[in-house]
Amino acid sequence: MYAELHTRSSFSFLEGASLPEDLVARARELGLAAVALLDRDGVYGAPRFHGAAQKAELRVHVGAEVTSADGLRYPLLAASRTGYQNLCRLITRMKLRAPKGEGAATEADLAEHAAGLICLAGAEDRNPKIESRVSNFEFRTSSFESRLCWLCEIFGRQNVYVELQRHFDRREEARNQRAVEAACALRLPLVATNGVCYATPAEREIADVFTALRHYRTLETAGRLLASNAERHLKPPAEMERLFADLPEAVANTLELSARLEFTLRDLGYQFPPYPIPEGETQISFLRRRTAEGAVGRYGDGNGRAARQLERELALIEKLHLEGYFLIVWDIVRYCRQQGILVQGRGSAANSAVCYALGITAVDPVGMDLLFERFLSEERGEWPDIDLDLPSGDQRERVIQYIYERYGQRGAAMTANVITYRGRSAAREVGKVLGFDAETLGRLTSLVSAWEYRDPSDTLERHFRDAGFDLEQARIRKFLELTRALQDLPRHLGQHSGGLVICQGQLDAVVPLEPATMPGRVVVQWDKDDCASLGMIKVDLLGLGMMAVLEDSIRLIRDHYREEVDLAHLPADDPEVYAALQKADTVGLFQVESRAQMSCLPRLRPERFYDLVVEVAIIRPGPIVGNMVHPYLRRRQGCEAVTYPHPSLEPVLRRTLGVPLFQEQLLRMAMIAAGFTGGAAEDLRRAMGFKRSEKRMKEIEQKLRLGMERQGIAAKAQEEIIQSISAFALYGFPESHAASFALIAYASAYLRCHYLAAFTAALLNNQPMGFYHPSTIVKDAARHGLRLQPVDVTRSDWPCTLEPCVDAPHPIALRLGFGYVRGMREEAARAMVRERARQPFGSIDDLVRRVPGLRKDELVTLAEIGALNFVPGSCPSAAPTNQTAGSKAGRAAQHRHRRDALWQVERAARPAGPLLERLEDRESGIESRKSKIEDRDSKVDTDSPLAPMTPEERLVADFHGTGLTVGPHPLAYRRAELEALGVKPARALARLASGQKVRVAGAVIVRQRPGTAKGFVFLSLEDETGIANAIVTPDLFQQYRVLIIREPFLLVKGTLQNQGGVISVKAEQLCPLTMSRAPVTSHDFY
Amino acid sequence: MNFACLYIADFPVQAVVRGEPALRGRAVTLVEPEPPPCRVFALNKAARQAGVEIGMSRVEAALLPEVAVRPRSPAAEASAHAALLDLARSFTPRFEDVAADTVVLDLGGLEALLGPAAQVACRLAAQARELGLEARVALAPHPDAARLAARGFAGITLIGEGEEADRLGSLPVETLDPSPEMQETLARWGIHTCGALAALPSAALAERLGQEGVRLQTLARGGALRALVPAEEPLHFEEAIDLEYPVGEIEPLAFILSRLLHPLCARLAARGRATQELRLALDVDVHEDRQVEEGNWKVENRNSKIEIRSPESGLFSNPESRLLRLPVPTCDPRLLLKLWLFDLEAHPPSAPVFKVALTAEPARPRVAQGDLFLPRAPDPQKLELTLARLRGVVGEGKAGSPELLDTHRPDAFRMRKFVGTDDAKVEGRKSKVESRKSKTSPSKTHPGFRLSNFDCRTSRLTLRLFRPPLAARVEVRDGRLVRVEGRVRGRVLWASGPWRTSGDWWTGRPWNCAAWDVELLVPRARSVARAESVRCYRLCRDLTDGQWFVGGFYD
Repeated sequence: MYAELHTRSSFSFLEGASLPEDLVARARELGLAAVALLDRDGVYGAPRFHGAAQKAELRVHVGAEVTSADGLRYPLLAASRTGYQNLCRLITRMKLRAPKGEGAATEADLAEHAAGLICLAGAEDRNPKIESRVSNFEFRTSSFESRLCWLCEIFGRQNVYVELQRHFDRREEARNQRAVEAACALRLPLVATNGVCYATPAEREIADVFTALRHYRTLETAGRLLASNAERHLKPPAEMERLFADLPEAVANTLELSARLEFTLRDLGYQFPPYPIPEGETQISFLRRRTAEGAVGRYGDGNGRAARQLERELALIEKLHLEGYFLIVWDIVRYCRQQGILVQGRGSAANSAVCYALGITAVDPVGMDLLFERFLSEERGEWPDIDLDLPSGDQRERVIQYIYERYGQRGAAMTANVITYRGRSAAREVGKVLGFDAETLGRLTSLVSAWEYRDPSDTLERHFRDAGFDLEQARIRKFLELTRALQDLPRHLGQHSGGLVICQGQLDAVVPLEPATMPGRVVVQWDKDDCASLGMIKVDLLGLGMMAVLEDSIRLIRDHYREEVDLAHLPADDPEVYAALQKADTVGLFQVESRAQMSCLPRLRPERFYDLVVEVAIIRPGPIVGNMVHPYLRRRQGCEAVTYPHPSLEPVLRRTLGVPLFQEQLLRMAMIAAGFTGGAAEDLRRAMGFKRSEKRMKEIEQKLRLGMERQGIAAKAQEEIIQSISAFALYGFPESHAASFALIAYASAYLRCHYLAAFTAALLNNQPMGFYHPSTIVKDAARHGLRLQPVDVTRSDWPCTLEPCVDAPHPIALRLGFGYVRGMREEAARAMVRERARQPFGSIDDLVRRVPGLRKDELVTLAEIGALNFVPGSCPSAAPTNQTAGSKAGRAAQHRHRRDALWQVERAARPAGPLLERLEDRESGIESRKSKIEDRDSKVDTDSPLAPMTPEERLVADFHGTGLTVGPHPLAYRRAELEALGVKPARALARLASGQKVRVAGAVIVRQRPGTAKGFVFLSLEDETGIANAIVTPDLFQQYRVLIIREPFLLVKGTLQNQGGVISVKAEQLCPLTMSRAPVTSHDFY
Repeated sequence: MNFACLYIADFPVQAVVRGEPALRGRAVTLVEPEPPPCRVFALNKAARQAGVEIGMSRVEAALLPEVAVRPRSPAAEASAHAALLDLARSFTPRFEDVAADTVVLDLGGLEALLGPAAQVACRLAAQARELGLEARVALAPHPDAARLAARGFAGITLIGEGEEADRLGSLPVETLDPSPEMQETLARWGIHTCGALAALPSAALAERLGQEGVRLQTLARGGALRALVPAEEPLHFEEAIDLEYPVGEIEPLAFILSRLLHPLCARLAARGRATQELRLALDVDVHEDRQVEEGNWKVENRNSKIEIRSPESGLFSNPESRLLRLPVPTCDPRLLLKLWLFDLEAHPPSAPVFKVALTAEPARPRVAQGDLFLPRAPDPQKLELTLARLRGVVGEGKAGSPELLDTHRPDAFRMRKFVGTDDAKVEGRKSKVESRKSKTSPSKTHPGFRLSNFDCRTSRLTLRLFRPPLAARVEVRDGRLVRVEGRVRGRVLWASGPWRTSGDWWTGRPWNCAAWDVELLVPRARSVARAESVRCYRLCRDLTDGQWFVGGFYD
């Protein structure tokens, strides 16, 4: 028997080629007694290794190869929990004091953290970055012996093993002989390992690719940096015994050493911190008090049902010792409220009445009859998961910093995000090491399709052939093979956007910590799934763009509408909101703005809040794949009778008209129909989740059937129930989560209906987010009567702002901010605003003189988009102020059009040169120089010989300079021509009969090929009257592929479909339109 | 109208069509010749109308049925350009070679000889057509005005004195070739034509766009900015001789070469040049339909040039001719003759020769000063002669300086050209710079006979390799090597190994082999007193085909 005690996974980032799961599977297949994972300077892959080993019933050990300051790597194995904690602290210390990706342990560090660790000494493994500083000590026996002695001093003689590896290499064998001599001399035990870097010999190719990448070489030039053979794979015990036939004790010692390694990740020692409570209180009493206080506000005094639910939840929380967790989350929420930061809990936490009472969530689970077990159950033995939505950006960062301060730098850290090789990144890296030139590489990479849906002919091979690449060429073939092989292998460690782990005491004793790229941030070496699988509690602080929009909107409403909006007390069932939703007038709204949502809204016709909850949940892969959408909509429209698989399920499915739409319903169905407990039902959901196992599925199905038999449910109904559960469990959406999202969706719709200017400004200031490009948002707002003002150096600020407007239907106008000017730097814009506040600008020369930080390209763009057209009289809002009116400077500012400004800018931005400047200074002093310049300004201004821009030129300049236009839509200029072509405006489609042949045209603002749509492509075409939707069949898409992907404006001929108010054109023919040279952009979802 | 300009629109396409007249009048698209990046590089008007765009993939262009797709041909372009220059030269010796597609002729004082302007223009266009090129012709008082008019207007354009601004006014500003930044500024200003640019106030324009703006405006107004820059006669050194009788022996060929080399070297010297590269082209007398392939010379058919096929392609820059490359430039005809003789002895022509041509690539002669404190290095020319002699004896690619390759492949090395001490110094300096640039890289250049950074500390024995390795049969029993048969034979006393190496898996030539160090009990010849002796060998096995070899022996 043999145990492999030195294995690297691909979590050694570019030094290992196999995933931990693959190593475990192979080890099991080969019959190894145990395997130890020693990734480089970390335990990154340990949770996945441990998880896979548990399933495979394989004994595994944890350790790491620790790089020391002398360039050597010491393979250290954790023998006990103390050893593991020391290993984590050792790695944390070396990582945190060095830049990201570097760090080495000193002798003192090793000595300090040696307890509980076992060191394997002898095999050559060194950090190439610091290799040059080290002498070849392994060739000099005395030095090796002295190092062994030193290691014995540090780790203890009984904890040092002399490691031997045999990869059929002469030099390695010479080292082995010296190592054996040294071990004999010092009477240290030998241990055989294979220094495994990959599970099977075939993966040596990936290891070589990684080696080349690590050294920034191609495979051709990497030379002897590459492995000399493919021997670093997992080998069966018999082969290892044969290899070490002359040293059988080295193989036998692997088992002895494995037996000594008691530590496993089950014994992690993680504890969640208790919340600091006042004297005389316990955690639970404090939580009860806070819950009771909150419950009064939420439910009043006489709600018995709520009180019972609260008591039930609190009892379970107490039993599971989760009081601290709830209090800590409550504390975070309380901090946000104090700081005026919008916060809302989402996900399964919304199933908890305690969370609702504590103010963590905003959805009433009692009122909505939500299932608590989806959040927390005794059987599951897992920590609850509370996600908090916060405004993205600075506000979220403030909350994160608060947690760091409160729990200490080593008490809290962000979870990691393992960045893996995906299609294009894999292709790029493989192309690089294969030595393709930049252009070929670019072309090869672009062939890796990014469409979400792929038809059977949409293969890489076909794309390669189409592009003229010969698949018979060895290098091209290898490129394909390797690109595929690299898929999903870890590339590097990033930082999760919001996952925070908090720990009692020192988090660095549980998992090593590393510095993140972002200053002041620390990340753990595991991602959120790994943390969850090891029972670590995490709080997800998720940055939600819409939360930032809501927060900004409230501030703008306060400043400009002089009204105070409280999101918690918005009028329920506002008729304007529902009218807009029913018309699918939802551009910019949270969760209900997508094309698919828009096509559902007129059919679902939401009338109350719960309808919105359904709307949020129904356009998801689960209901779509499970064929739930159409039955629900038909039943809602009264076209189909409401039936239930079994009468006992009526209470569960009544709200959704007999069609299961939510995960909670699935759990309840299992509970009612098969007599499952809440926890068992949640287990069922997980078992049917993403990582399904056939065996486990069969077991659960059997269990369900037995349960239903007991309940006396007929075979047919049983089949129907099982079918709906198994089809739905994969992608189902929790009702609580949908309710939380629906609240935000309602708030966004309410603000848009009643405070359009504020909402649009906030939406534009928080881009990119959502489904539409800002140009679409702007046009939609304009169609709703909002006056949009262009960027103006006398008015605009960095963000979009609001200003009074008297002659428009809307009393407040929106002024585009400098943030939308392409290439404009924030500091330059802010400097301009500061200087303008001091004194308005008299002319462009004045602006250039007073804001010297402005670059020429910024000035040119400002002039090009009309931001320098501060012409008194042409726009009432831009009238000159008292200081400038009547003065020479005021007269100098008589720019008539954008090209006047461009003509001026070109001269103003060209320095006169030191010779002339000195001459002017000497002759006339500063004051007279100023007046000379002003004279020159006015003369040149009136002499501008350039013709004004045409509307088309203005349009192009707007799109080029800001990505949008506040002027007419590009199609508005050509409407007469389009009418002559028989093209109908988008708004007119609603009045036409279904089945009629129509022509629609517009700027393509969205291209979508969803994975669930069987190859159909959906196009959104925008004109000046609205948005028209076109559906392209897979065959037609193949025919017009290039046209659809490339053309910014399209004319679609086809048949109008009006299904319950959902209007679309089934395309039959597509033509490109030459509307404008404006670079219209679209959001493409491939 | 003193100046005429000929401009060939879509020049790369016309160059190809010139060689393939069937394409005339058709939509033609050229793609880059080297796959894999097969992109549309150039196209003609018809192809543009058919929907082809620059940058399209070959596959996309080929989808349009009426479009002919051809690879770009630099050779055809060079030949079309030469034809254009010949045409210009046939009219006047004063012409400017502006670009591959443009030539400007000074017609001053040639009216009496060539006739009126319109007639000259027609003749130019007609002669271009005879050469297979559709040219745009413009005549104007200034070279730039003529050039702009030819590029901007199709057919024949005649611009009289004082009409320049009016006639050029309608041309797009891109015709003036402004810098991208300037073009962007003009576009922003709405200045799209030369006329619009010409109309701008000059002083204000200068204040904004500087001298470049003024230059463009002057051009747009048809103003004279510069004088013609006549094309210089290229430095071309070639001597050729047609023989009355084919020569099949090296000795008479040497005599002929000598006759060619002396005037060639004299011509080089007269122009203050020497040569570092000499090309020899031989026309050989081969019967029709006969194909001879012998050694390095491959003869396709009668009157063809000799095409070289060499295993060491690095020795030849052009496979159609024999190339002699020297370490330093020289114009010593005796030295060159000796070198050619060595070369011809090593690679004699396969058939009698009836035409010989020698072309020299001119180079600046070498000026060198010896070092006061260093012994004088061998004269590089003599050294080259010696090396050429050696190559003649041992064969091409077998004389030089061995260089170990950076790979695990056993016995991987290549022969580099030997460089003398002076050049070695330069090389050494270069390699130092390179190694400074990439510290981790193993040294790549090894001046002189120095070996690479092979670590000798691990080797206690000297391994002498057999080249090529000796084929062997090996008896293996229970996984142990027992006996070796073949040129090296004996009983295996002791074996260490296998030492496995494999690599180059990403190429079409992967290798995978195992090696053993064995001690063989080798039987001796009967005459020797002791019947047997023990020797150490390296035994190799190619794991892809299972063949055994004796790679070398230790001593």
